[in-house]
Amino acid sequence: MAKKTDTPKERLLNRRQLLKGSAAAAVVAGLAPTFFIRNAWAEQAIGNYPVNGSSVVFGFNVPQTGSYADEGADELRAYELAVEHLNNGGGMLETLQPLSLTGAGVLGKKVEFVVGDTQTNPDAARTSARRMVERDKVIMFGGGSSSAVAIAQQYLAQEMGTVFMCGLTHSNDTTGKDRRRYGFRHFFNAYMSGMALGPVLADAYGKDRRAFHLTADYTWGHTQYQSIKQFTEAEGWTTVNNIMTPLGTTDYSQFLTAVLNSDADVLVLNHYGKDMINSLTQAVQFGMRELQVGGKDMQIVVPLYSRLMAKGAGAANIEGVFGSTNWNWTLDDPGSQAFVASFSEKYGFPPSQAAQTCYVQTLMYADACERAGTFYPPEVIKALEGHSFTGAGPGEAFFRGEDHQCFKDILVVQGKGPGESSGEFDLLKIVQQVKREDVTYPVQTFEGDLGPYEPA
Amino acid sequence: MSGNLVNALTLQVLTGMQLGAVYALIALGLTLIFGTLGVVNFAHGALYLIAAYLAVFISTELGFFAAVFIVPALLFMVGWGLERGLIKSFYSRPHTDQILVTFGLALVTEEGLKWAFGSNNIPFPLPQWGTGIVKLQEYLPFLDGFVAFPKWRLVMILVALTVISLLFVLLKFTRFGLVIRAGMRDSGMLRFLGVNISQRFAVVFGMGALIAGVAGVFGGPITQVSPDVGMHLLVPSFLVVVIGGMGSLGGALLSSLILGMALSFTAEYSAVQQIIVYLVAVIVLLVRPRGLFGKQGVFE
Repeated sequence: MAKKTDTPKERLLNRRQLLKGSAAAAVVAGLAPTFFIRNAWAEQAIGNYPVNGSSVVFGFNVPQTGSYADEGADELRAYELAVEHLNNGGGMLETLQPLSLTGAGVLGKKVEFVVGDTQTNPDAARTSARRMVERDKVIMFGGGSSSAVAIAQQYLAQEMGTVFMCGLTHSNDTTGKDRRRYGFRHFFNAYMSGMALGPVLADAYGKDRRAFHLTADYTWGHTQYQSIKQFTEAEGWTTVNNIMTPLGTTDYSQFLTAVLNSDADVLVLNHYGKDMINSLTQAVQFGMRELQVGGKDMQIVVPLYSRLMAKGAGAANIEGVFGSTNWNWTLDDPGSQAFVASFSEKYGFPPSQAAQTCYVQTLMYADACERAGTFYPPEVIKALEGHSFTGAGPGEAFFRGEDHQCFKDILVVQGKGPGESSGEFDLLKIVQQVKREDVTYPVQTFEGDLGPYEPA
Repeated sequence: MSGNLVNALTLQVLTGMQLGAVYALIALGLTLIFGTLGVVNFAHGALYLIAAYLAVFISTELGFFAAVFIVPALLFMVGWGLERGLIKSFYSRPHTDQILVTFGLALVTEEGLKWAFGSNNIPFPLPQWGTGIVKLQEYLPFLDGFVAFPKWRLVMILVALTVISLLFVLLKFTRFGLVIRAGMRDSGMLRFLGVNISQRFAVVFGMGALIAGVAGVFGGPITQVSPDVGMHLLVPSFLVVVIGGMGSLGGALLSSLILGMALSFTAEYSAVQQIIVYLVAVIVLLVRPRGLFGKQGVFE
């Protein structure tokens, strides 16, 4: 910029010089070979990059209303804790390896955050996320508790050049056919649930079983049904029938009647949240846990479990029911314990798996920025792709570059009955910690295209 | 007919009846209030919600039978208070105003409960005597093999039938019922005859709430207890009232049975089931624009 001068003549002269200089610069820029200024082109403005000022803003878009509001509230608690730890240290910053974060913000900037409400509705989530990007200038956003919501936000992220760290989403599609360059998932998926559960179920209930599925009628339910069917049939089970149930159904009697009067001896509930609470409770009311079909005890399986769901259904109803989960607060590895300790200290109760995944994803994004040395999205994405880390849960975790799915140990759990449970949060018993290698599948399993690093 | 078909049909009919039973109980209160007072009460689902929450806490503390008596009594008082405190100011105002204020009330109730108890479900276990299944083949000799139906669902059907019968006796054979029926037919004429119908309005509103209370106690373990249950039930229940004919008790009963059956028989076809309630509404209203038993001049 021209130096400030005192007289009008000098100012005029300087303005002329400036104009001449600008014209010369434009000519040079137009004629110069581009390889001389490659880096200047590489870091063009994308999304809200470059970040100006002394702080950087993250956006946390969680269900504050609707069916998953309790999970959203827990996600938000985890996000607040993550920001606190990013700015001041503590929590998993003590356990994560490798780690470039220092506990003094990210790239020297203090982390601030804004909050939105997804309402567990893809349209509302997109509107809220768009507002965060456009008005609040977030450099990254994350959160949510539904695959339909996650997928909708992922497409928006790609469109707007702003990285989206998915919250809780379990559909295969999120990192399958709907995978996006700007979306990353730390949470496990339905295919991994199937791989983990198939052998455990066959071991517990035998190989000659006939399963009846009730499935939530949207992307997550569809993919979970396919995966559980595939892996139980591989163990020798037969799938008798599947009924797609509308999301948000409160009375499952019309579907359970069909189960009761089929020759199925296992009921698989591909339901989540309140849907699972209602369908499981009603299945128990229908006496299914006491039934014998063809000389075998009838069994109920809930492939995706969460502690919040177990609490809603009640210990008496979940006793002995198998399922899989991403993480549980009773794990004793240093990362889990560091997170549980700081969360419990701040809020007075242990975190849910939704909280854990959101917390880890926020730290992972921040760490990737530090490692990349920039907030420039393509570089941050490259830093996350193929990144391995420990200290965020049991074993080593790995973000696969080709589909942005994180692979790590997952848990097969069983509901604890009222006699076994030691308190209102002690509801799931870890039956098996399934190793990462056993739930890792080839990237070609699902077709999909991540899209470009630089949004069109 | 083959044995399997008879079994399946029996089960579908029973399922249809029990699905219809919850709708019937809610729709009866709705149509009673509308028929008598001319108020479109969108807060009726919220009354069910309050009843379910009260029922789960009272049954935990004092036992289920205590809830059976206390909750409807409390709901009567809630309904009475609601009419005296709010609804009576809206009798002379347009239906749209009534819908707005009652819908607003429903939203406030839902969010209030969410704030107080969280949005997750509160487990409402069945009383011990209501759990398990009834082996229908032991009672119905025409059934072939093992045919099971949950005991509580049969209890729900019986409760709905009892409440409906009591309401009919009350309306048909008592002086209070005579006044109410006259009020439903022509409240203006009743006033000309010197009957102070407005004094009875609060009682009628309380009765509607009381029936929602009964539905909450017995339906709570079925629908479960979470803040959005009221809204989930409101739309189908309102459709029951519209299909049956606004203000017609018999119509509400018949249409709840029709909708229950429609839902039950389409259960295996998700795409059809999601629209079947509205499809039935469209067909009925095309053939009979005032609903099955709707009267000329009501809500027109």
